[in-house]
Amino acid sequence: MSSNSALERTISKVLSQKETELISQIDSAYQESLKNLEASQGKLEGERTKIVESARKQAENLKRQIVGSSRLAARNQELVIIETAVSNAFEQAKRKLADAGDKESYKSLMAGVIEESVSSIGSGKVTVECNKSDTELVKRIIADLQKKNPKVEASVSNHSIDIIGGIRVKSADGSMTYDNTIDSRIERLKPLIRKNIAQMLRGEE
Amino acid sequence: MPETTAGVEYTKVVEIKGPLIIIDGITKASFDELVEIETVDGERRLGKVLEVGFGKAVVQVFEGTTGLTITGTKAKFIGKTMEMPVSQELLGRVFDGLGRPNDGLPDPIADKFLDVNGEPMNPERREYPTSFIQTGVSVIDGMLTLVRGQKLPIFSGSGMPHNILAAQIARQAAVVGTKEDFAVVFAAIGVQYSDAQYFKRSLEESGALRRSVLFLNLADDPAIERIITPRVALTVAEYLAFDLGMHVLAILTDMTNYAEALREISAAREEVPGRKGYPGYLYTDLANNYERAGRVKGKNGSVTQVPILSMPADDITHPIPDLTGYITEGQIVLGRDLFRKGVYPPVNVLMSLSRLMKDGVGEGKTRSDHMEVGNQLYDAYSRAQEVRALAEIVGRAGLTGVDLKYLDVGDMFEQQFLKQAPDENRSLDETLGRAWDVLSNLPEGELTKIKEKHVKQYYKGK
Repeated sequence: MSSNSALERTISKVLSQKETELISQIDSAYQESLKNLEASQGKLEGERTKIVESARKQAENLKRQIVGSSRLAARNQELVIIETAVSNAFEQAKRKLADAGDKESYKSLMAGVIEESVSSIGSGKVTVECNKSDTELVKRIIADLQKKNPKVEASVSNHSIDIIGGIRVKSADGSMTYDNTIDSRIERLKPLIRKNIAQMLRGEE
Repeated sequence: MPETTAGVEYTKVVEIKGPLIIIDGITKASFDELVEIETVDGERRLGKVLEVGFGKAVVQVFEGTTGLTITGTKAKFIGKTMEMPVSQELLGRVFDGLGRPNDGLPDPIADKFLDVNGEPMNPERREYPTSFIQTGVSVIDGMLTLVRGQKLPIFSGSGMPHNILAAQIARQAAVVGTKEDFAVVFAAIGVQYSDAQYFKRSLEESGALRRSVLFLNLADDPAIERIITPRVALTVAEYLAFDLGMHVLAILTDMTNYAEALREISAAREEVPGRKGYPGYLYTDLANNYERAGRVKGKNGSVTQVPILSMPADDITHPIPDLTGYITEGQIVLGRDLFRKGVYPPVNVLMSLSRLMKDGVGEGKTRSDHMEVGNQLYDAYSRAQEVRALAEIVGRAGLTGVDLKYLDVGDMFEQQFLKQAPDENRSLDETLGRAWDVLSNLPEGELTKIKEKHVKQYYKGK
């Protein structure tokens, strides 16, 4: 019996020791886990902040990109609309100019245009081309010009050209041409006139 | 401004020679006058007068002379030099190499018409460049800082990623800490179609197109057009800067193609060739373009130029980089070795320099340690290169402890500071932070270029 009780005591002692050991191990494992968890939470928090920060940057970029593109698209649409309006204004102006042949101001304009063109070509014989309806007017102006300056050798071409108004002067050998038609003048001044029309459309003037 | 009277049209073309036509019977023409050429088919091209005399005029045709004939070709002398219509509306637009719309939109409504040859800046009115432009590229911001009004070229080589770097700078460049407007004028000279599309797409997708103006002269466009492309681009840049008060970054790529076009015209004019066949006036001509950068006293804006040129056979003594180097204020050189190692941007910092950096960085401009950190990085990388060469001979085992540190710092410099993604935009603080990360791998005593207070503040080593 006594040997049994000794054995039981030993077993109980061993068990108790093991229990303490295990409890201590579990405790330290628990503490370690808590530490790990704490460290991971810090890391996780850091990662989360990084991801959120990067997403915020991406969102900002995307926003900037979308706003920028939309503004640009709107501006481009405005340019197209203005251009259509400008083209319409030019068409109307051309129609009005085509009907202005009888006006006194047109006659004085033609006199100036002919004088300028003939002198630009220089000395020698020149041929003046104009539209059909202006032929008589041009002939009269040339006759007047020759009275003033007998050196001018200009004749009106038999072939009319399809223009709104104004004239085209050619040297006798055809090597030099001076285009002083209203059509070409409009083309040359178009960039300036476009600006004025656009300003009016935008309410800037 | 367009003239109210047109010039005379001539039909006596006596010779067509390369990109030139010679017209006879000229009574009125002036040097550099714009000429409108009409082909037999009614196609219109532009040109300019190069020489006048004895009743003849030599006209350089921008769009080339292919298809022109002696008989039937008409040349109208416009009576003015080539002009570019300018207004704020140019921002966000894409033009061809001659400044004509290339984006399907109408001609811009002009505020002014400016001579593309520009007006020389009065040297007395120039203001010294002292303000920083952030590119978001670490190696440029940290070590080769770009300053508003500076001209800083990029010397590259065939096949290297200079166009990617150019597009990155165009997308990311900004004037930090000020609300002043910033714009980019981008002139692509003789680039491939794919490159042109890349530039366009890159700016569109990043939203940077609305503050940019693009001029695209493609490789298959007539070479002569390339003479005009940088001029129209710089005219727009000057307008945005000095009329509208914006800070403008003008990127011109590739200036080698521009010089090739000059050579072509020079050969056709039978001029006495200079080095490698380039005309003797190559220096003057390049200077005419590069000197259109700067700041003017009493005006808010600035024109900063980044011309990019590819060095034929990577030869830095070639006339184009050589003469460019005389005119500009430093250079950024791309290195083939780094490119082969997969480092982007492959900037060879030891061959590169920004001469105006010292005036654009430091306390009140960027950060007080900026210049010192840049110098220390130069020093450390230079030492690392020497150690690398030594290690090739004696092996790593023969190196001292400090040498080994430099070896590591060299690698770290290339991988952590120099290397960055083409879409990575680094702030200056991030750039300097990375620089300190690299330098902190050296013993504190090796940081001889940096003031002690900055070492105390930023050094991360033990």
